[in-house]
Amino acid sequence: MLGYSRQPVISLRGVCFEYAHGGFSLNVGELTVASGTRAAAIGPSGSGKTTLLNLISGIERPGSGEVSTAGVRVDRLSSAGRRSFRITTIGFVFQEFLLLEYLDVLDNILYPYRLHPELHLNASVRSRARQLASDLGLAELLARRPSELSQGERQRVAIARALVTAPSLILADEPTGNLDPATKQQALDLLFEQCEARSTTLLMVTHDHGLLDQFAQIVDLETLRPAEA
Amino acid sequence: MRDSIYLAWRYLRHHRTKTLLLVLSLSVFLGLPLIMRAMSRATQQSLLSRAEATPLLLGKKGSSLDLVVEALYFQLKGAEPITKADVDGLQAMDLALGIPIRTGLMARGFPLVGTSLDYFPFRKLRMTEGRGLAMMGECILGAEAAEALGLGPGDALLTSPSTLFDLAGVYPLKLHVVGILEPSFGPDDEAVFVDLRTAWVAEGMGHGHQDLSSAGPDVVLKRKEGTVTANAKLIQYNEITEANIESFHFHGDPSSYPVSAAIVVPHDEKSGVLLRGRFVDAETRQLVRPAQVVDSLNKQIFRFERILEIVVWTVGLATAVMFVLVMVLSWRLRAEELRTMTRLGCSRWKAAQIMGSEIALMVGASVLIAGVFGIVMAQYGETWLQTLILRGS
Repeated sequence: MLGYSRQPVISLRGVCFEYAHGGFSLNVGELTVASGTRAAAIGPSGSGKTTLLNLISGIERPGSGEVSTAGVRVDRLSSAGRRSFRITTIGFVFQEFLLLEYLDVLDNILYPYRLHPELHLNASVRSRARQLASDLGLAELLARRPSELSQGERQRVAIARALVTAPSLILADEPTGNLDPATKQQALDLLFEQCEARSTTLLMVTHDHGLLDQFAQIVDLETLRPAEA
Repeated sequence: MRDSIYLAWRYLRHHRTKTLLLVLSLSVFLGLPLIMRAMSRATQQSLLSRAEATPLLLGKKGSSLDLVVEALYFQLKGAEPITKADVDGLQAMDLALGIPIRTGLMARGFPLVGTSLDYFPFRKLRMTEGRGLAMMGECILGAEAAEALGLGPGDALLTSPSTLFDLAGVYPLKLHVVGILEPSFGPDDEAVFVDLRTAWVAEGMGHGHQDLSSAGPDVVLKRKEGTVTANAKLIQYNEITEANIESFHFHGDPSSYPVSAAIVVPHDEKSGVLLRGRFVDAETRQLVRPAQVVDSLNKQIFRFERILEIVVWTVGLATAVMFVLVMVLSWRLRAEELRTMTRLGCSRWKAAQIMGSEIALMVGASVLIAGVFGIVMAQYGETWLQTLILRGS
């Protein structure tokens, strides 16, 4: 994907991170997630799950240690470099979906292409976005606004937006937290299916331990050590 | 850049009410001072050029501004009239040409101006259609009046009754259109010109009716020592034709009939000075130089314009502050969106570009609206402002 190596997709070694205002720190001895893996990050509130995603994606920079994502030493990149790396390499799915009300479904899916000059929005990208929408059951909803969609439909739009750039890694921060049980499993199935179809690595933060048997790798933040499922 | 503009456009379109309000506010802020200044200058120049083309004006002593406004711009100010004898007396001095002007009535919303044939060559007015005035009851239309009324030579129009609910008042007179003037881009374009005597007939000072000498007893109430008293059956004419023109007459001495003012065109500079000298101490009349009067009006306008400019700039400043405030608040409300952009990997420069595009689109639309408004005002605003100033002065 865009010139970055796929092996391993996530690699953290001796990482220490502390927020500037203090009060919270995260230490990771070693964490590796191989390409194409479906991994879950678990831990109680405040254990640093979101911070871990932020470090992997380069939103935050560690005080020390190595963070390598898709073969790139993210911790060595400048702020601009990390932003550029993030949008071209990583897809995000948020719990609150974070869709834009002033854009219709298709434009929301294509949103990352509007934000970075290296991502060229052309006919083939549009076609891919339509296909993706169709795969996710959104084909009939492309002209609708997010407020006109159900929670499950919104989450599917958010998944499509994360996948549209064909990223090597999807970081999902409790993507099913706002969904009812039936919709939750449906959304997860779609996410897994799409990631598998594209050999995309998935690291998903979740509180729901009932879902863990669907993941190949569990990252337990409480023990600060990756544990094999 | 195209993507930034696209996102900005979609955002503005989605919040169209807020956008429209901001754009309109900015349009006023950008356009009003420039338009006001340009229109004011153009109006002052236009007022002055007509006044400068009128050497002197004779009228009743009183407000010189009212006199000028009535005689030059045909706006009804109700200045006291002089008499035809005053104009004749001026002519008799053999120092100037006197062109009487009688205003006061309207014909279908346009001022009816009674004057002499000298008026047309003096104002360099030429016919674009038809011919000049030849007999009583005829009228010539200014270009705009003709266009607005859709009339041409051969058509007719009625004067507007001055006392609509007074059955004993003056009835409308049917005027025959014989000519249309070329556009002169001044008050003449909106006037309906008639002969001075026709204006008097329209005002009810002269009239025509069936011949009483041959009228039967059903019309005549009594005949006594050359005086005939008729009843209401007597046929009064409401138009002047070749057949009935002989019956039109004026009771009393026409030299005592009213004239709103007289344009005075001295034979030469010396004659003008002499004339002005003769009217310096006149008790009931005044001889004014319209250019001087309009110049003083322009100074008043300029003073008013300065005050207006301060007000407009203050309002503009308030608008700009409000605009900035709305934008800042809007961005604060969109903090979540900005955070999402950052998390997805959007650069700060790109985020600024999107926000900047929103401002640029709104400012661009405002400039466009202000420009269109400016063009429209340049086209019609001068006449409108002129009318506003003259009617309000």
